[in-house]
Amino acid sequence: MSTLTRPRTPAGRTTNKAARNGRSAQVTRLMPTWLIAVLTTLLCILVLVPIAYIFLASLNTDTGVASGEFWPSQFSLDSYSKIWGSVGLGKGIINSLVVAGSVAVVSAVIAVGTAYVLVRFTFVGRLTVLRGLLGLQSIPGTLMLLPVFVLFASIGAWLGITIIGTLWGLFIAYLTFALPFSTWVMVTYLRGLPRELEEAARIDGASNLGILFRIIVPLSWPGIVVSGIFAFLLGWNDVLFASIFTKPDTATAAIVLQVFSASQEGGAIPVYSQMMAAALVCAAPVVILYFIFQRYLVGGLTAGGVK
Amino acid sequence: MSSEIAGDTLRDELSRPAGQQKAPHGKKRKGVTERDRPLWLLAPGGILITVIILIPLVLAVYMSVIDLDQYTLRKWLATPFIGIENFVEAITKTDLLRSIWISVSFAVISTVVTVPLGVAAAVVTQNPYRGRAVVRAVFLIPYVLPSFVVATVWRTMLQPDGIVNGVLHNVGIDPGLWLNGPLSYWTLVFVEIWAAWPFVYLLALAGLQSVDHEVHEAAAIDGALWWRKLREVIFPYLKGPVSLAFLLGTLNHINNFTLPFVLFGAPAPADVNVLPILVYVTSFQSFRFGLSAAMAVVSLILIAIPLFIYLRAVKLDVSDDGGKK
Repeated sequence: MSTLTRPRTPAGRTTNKAARNGRSAQVTRLMPTWLIAVLTTLLCILVLVPIAYIFLASLNTDTGVASGEFWPSQFSLDSYSKIWGSVGLGKGIINSLVVAGSVAVVSAVIAVGTAYVLVRFTFVGRLTVLRGLLGLQSIPGTLMLLPVFVLFASIGAWLGITIIGTLWGLFIAYLTFALPFSTWVMVTYLRGLPRELEEAARIDGASNLGILFRIIVPLSWPGIVVSGIFAFLLGWNDVLFASIFTKPDTATAAIVLQVFSASQEGGAIPVYSQMMAAALVCAAPVVILYFIFQRYLVGGLTAGGVK
Repeated sequence: MSSEIAGDTLRDELSRPAGQQKAPHGKKRKGVTERDRPLWLLAPGGILITVIILIPLVLAVYMSVIDLDQYTLRKWLATPFIGIENFVEAITKTDLLRSIWISVSFAVISTVVTVPLGVAAAVVTQNPYRGRAVVRAVFLIPYVLPSFVVATVWRTMLQPDGIVNGVLHNVGIDPGLWLNGPLSYWTLVFVEIWAAWPFVYLLALAGLQSVDHEVHEAAAIDGALWWRKLREVIFPYLKGPVSLAFLLGTLNHINNFTLPFVLFGAPAPADVNVLPILVYVTSFQSFRFGLSAAMAVVSLILIAIPLFIYLRAVKLDVSDDGGKK
């Protein structure tokens, strides 16, 4: 390859990444340009063709989609206005926002405190707890669903309250399942913070809580945001628990969409356009969150290693 | 670690002085941490995890050895103990073994396909060019979309009168049903791959960014051909991330409930009756709770193997100078 053997400027010496990329991209090139172009194009087609169709179908009419059009003969936003009545999506989205939003806030708060103790203090069982944080992330939800259901039903009957079917039950379940990952994200983040500030504060007489609130929390906002967002996503994306723990009026967006989609089959005129519009509306909050916090989220993901 | 990731950059920069001065501070630090540790901060998370995860885990095992169904559910504490009967029934009289086979083969195929796709995607976006940011954003789309949305839109497109069959019909292929019958298995594999490869891409990207510039230079001076450089110089750096992708990918595929549930509904067609769906249907549609708990315990044993390897491989207690690798 001529690109690899070309004489080079001493740019490689510099540690500045921007300058490095600009002047010596030839050296870091891993593939010939044509192959990069071919692979990139194929992967983009794989992703974008279905996505384009989903958008176009959502902007089409139900009859247009049913007749097999890829490109709408007539663009309209009707589907986006119909879904609020026909699907009842509004209620589902509000339920999802309430549950996932509160899970995000509460789990981030708990995770910071827990991670602070796990990273900065030693105690018996610390390694077991760390290992547990990783292990618990992979416990299958289908294993937990039944015993948690029975537990909630029993506690509810014992205390004379209803848990199953309320947003509270869902909130408690999601909060707990979000904690291992949220805490792990905070543990990896706090490990990177220098101890010097904390030690200086301690010499100045700050208490443990003072250090947590005055030093750790202000320094670890990116980590807190990431752990909160992942908790939000867990609540927003869940179908398993929501399918059992909700009633029609507490159903989350995921359940509303799933029920709507399942009820379509066998119908006279399938409302595929509305389905696509509803799916896109359900995806919107998540996509928006990702693109606002993209840089933090990708880092948090590779630190935690789990979706 | 990647320097493109804001959090990590911050961490790397901040941790450097800490790492250098680590030795002299070691003793003193220990003295501080031994004194009045705020262990009560562990309580909220600890209580929640104990009540909602650990106790139910024990309950799950207990339920697998009692005769629990919709009639005995209200008095589940008084339900008779039947030992391994549920397990025997699960293995001999239900679809459990077939479901295990479907789940495992589905997970392995999905992993084997997504890993090269993800690595290729990371390699082709490694060098900057105009529009790379857009390509990277495009690659993230399937990852960002919630599973239930992905499943819903594919379910719609794969309907007998949907767009996929429409397009294929125009080219003269009539594949028949995607969401039922033998093809449904490949539908599940395809949609899972479509949704899951960006996860590998992200892991591989982090791995590629850990390759030192000197390594590229050395390969360039040697005049290595691109594919030799890729195979012998770059891929060794990806060993860690790719093994992680293999393990976590396989675990995620096996545990995936949402995708098959929303794509095919429950009960699922026989060819896509994966383990999570079988456990779910046995519990909440057939109301054979004890039997379902036994199946769930079997599935836990199944995923315990990759999980154990993963936990052994992760360094839990790294000091200031490094993240988890």
